[in-house]
Amino acid sequence: MKITFPHMGNVYLAAKALFEGLGVDYVIPPLNSRAALEIGSFHSPEEICLPFKIMVGNYIQAIEQGADTVIITGSCGPCRFGEYCEMQMKLLRRLGYQVDFIVIDAPKCIGLKELMARISKLSSASPKSGAEKWRALVQAVRIMNLLDAIEAKAHERAGYEKVRGSCKRLLHECRQEVYRCKTPREMLRCLHEYSRRLDEVPCDRSAKPLRIAVIGEIYTVIEPFSNLYIEDKLMDYGISTKRVMTPSWWMGNTIMSPLKLNSPGIRLASRDYLPYYIGGHARECVGEAVLAWKDGFDGAIQIFPMGCMPEIVSKAILPTIARDKDFPVLSLVVDEMTGEAGYVTRIEAFIDMLERRRIHAVSWR
Amino acid sequence: MRIGIPRGLLYDQYHPFFTRFFTELGAELAVSPPTNKAILDAGVQCCVDEACLPVKVFHGHVCYLKDKCDLLFIPRIMRLFRGEYICPKFCGLPEMVINSIPGLPETITEPFYADSMKKLRRWALRTGFRITRDRRRIMVALEAAMNEQSGHKTGYDEQGYPIRVALAGHPYNLYDAFINMDVKIKLNRLGIGVITEESMDEEEMAPEVESLFKKPFWTFARKTYGFIAASVAQRRVQGVVYISSFACGIDSVILELVRDRIGDFPMLVLKIDEHTGEAGVDTRIEAFADMLERSGKVEDHLSPHGQRLSCCESPV
Repeated sequence: MKITFPHMGNVYLAAKALFEGLGVDYVIPPLNSRAALEIGSFHSPEEICLPFKIMVGNYIQAIEQGADTVIITGSCGPCRFGEYCEMQMKLLRRLGYQVDFIVIDAPKCIGLKELMARISKLSSASPKSGAEKWRALVQAVRIMNLLDAIEAKAHERAGYEKVRGSCKRLLHECRQEVYRCKTPREMLRCLHEYSRRLDEVPCDRSAKPLRIAVIGEIYTVIEPFSNLYIEDKLMDYGISTKRVMTPSWWMGNTIMSPLKLNSPGIRLASRDYLPYYIGGHARECVGEAVLAWKDGFDGAIQIFPMGCMPEIVSKAILPTIARDKDFPVLSLVVDEMTGEAGYVTRIEAFIDMLERRRIHAVSWR
Repeated sequence: MRIGIPRGLLYDQYHPFFTRFFTELGAELAVSPPTNKAILDAGVQCCVDEACLPVKVFHGHVCYLKDKCDLLFIPRIMRLFRGEYICPKFCGLPEMVINSIPGLPETITEPFYADSMKKLRRWALRTGFRITRDRRRIMVALEAAMNEQSGHKTGYDEQGYPIRVALAGHPYNLYDAFINMDVKIKLNRLGIGVITEESMDEEEMAPEVESLFKKPFWTFARKTYGFIAASVAQRRVQGVVYISSFACGIDSVILELVRDRIGDFPMLVLKIDEHTGEAGVDTRIEAFADMLERSGKVEDHLSPHGQRLSCCESPV
């Protein structure tokens, strides 16, 4: 069994650690690129959302490198993501690829027994003992959390750094170095090293950079290729950014949600505007916008793939928040046709507007 | 008190329930007229651009009603069957409307779950208290509304046509004759009878749906997929006409599943949005009708040139 999985931001590094720890054969698909997207959008249904297309590209590229089992997570709606597994299985079968799917779905809709059966399919492929498997899982989770923390730190400090670009450089270096590490233990050591080095980046804390919150659909905010590397771009402009949606946030949120204890801050903040969970992360998007305003951010950028049902609802709500709180929000829709020039122009215009608001402190209404 | 009920989305399916419920409570009703150009334009103007056509039309109906009622009813239909959803946009519909249209009267936006009696009662009480404080009256109204609804039947099962097709899609696209440009009449005129999913029992759909890897979590997906797959497998129809609104997330999934199931069985997908031109729709329906008619006549399926045509080798 040779396992592969779709890309989503830095998840591939945690997955690498997990599979190394388990001693399972795996293929990391080539990093997301135009090629993956083109393969994906060639084979996918036209109106499906962008993540589906990129994922199909990932699978096919990984299968060409020898993968025969795909592992993905599922959900039980009402967002389309829950149907991905079914459609992707059929699509790959139709294309003539013999691949197995392991769908890690919520126990709520497939039952705990079925979930355990699916997980044991994965763990039985590992020659390691039970304790070692657990250790691999714990290490993978720690790597994920550290990576997210490092990323968040780099994005935040990018506004304050004395030498423009030092945070960005360190972040990229960190990803490459971690990727080169062989064992989970080495990866952890490497991450700690980079976390320390990021702390030592010379910063000017008296600077008052623009601060922007990145909100929206989870895949498109986490996967930098799908949002045309917006966070790197913002770092280049010397803007301090914050993003709540991370793989580690998702994990914590998913574990806590059956108890209804997930993200209490977001629940509270979104109550006035969207008091129900309507699928996807629409409520989180609305809540994050309100929280960003409370935290004194200058603005927020919402990113979602064309046709994303939950985010369309939040896009309808965000202008009201913008009006009520005098808090600018820019909505960006991405799909395989997004042109970079038009995209950058809009981001730049938004940033210019935020800067001028500060200078003039305008509040015309 | 006048309650405004927009004639959009699932109104056609559930209007007996809602109208009876509110009239029993002693409220006066203001229902918007069937969709027309002015309503569509108003909806397109105020609704968020990315939304699908039926949601925009619903916004138009709300625009029409907003000055004509004291209390506006925006159904937040969360669930019709156990463990299933409708669509994220239905769950967030009140928020979309309230945040897009200025100057609305007060609104009723209680979440509506039809999968359990307990939740239905809670909905009735919370909604009813806006009109009357009389608990018993609300319960009586709920009872009457449910009886009224159970006698309500929609859908077509037309006999006596040489060709029959399955007319599929979301009910609000199928029964709104303005936005689908009267597809049913157009088909009838070409000698094609239509059957819709209401004419099929749930038991007939069930085996088709169960053959999927994952049970669809949308009511629309389960019913439409089951209906098309079963009616094609039983050779009840010669073709499928699917009316889909542009950028509908659920349709993008259903259509893919259906295509995978029925192979190259004749299927016409009519995409509708606010720009759809009638001439193009006519042409496509006529071409489809011609194709269905001829497919019954050709005997040998030999292509005059090149490869053999595969139109009869559907895997079903």
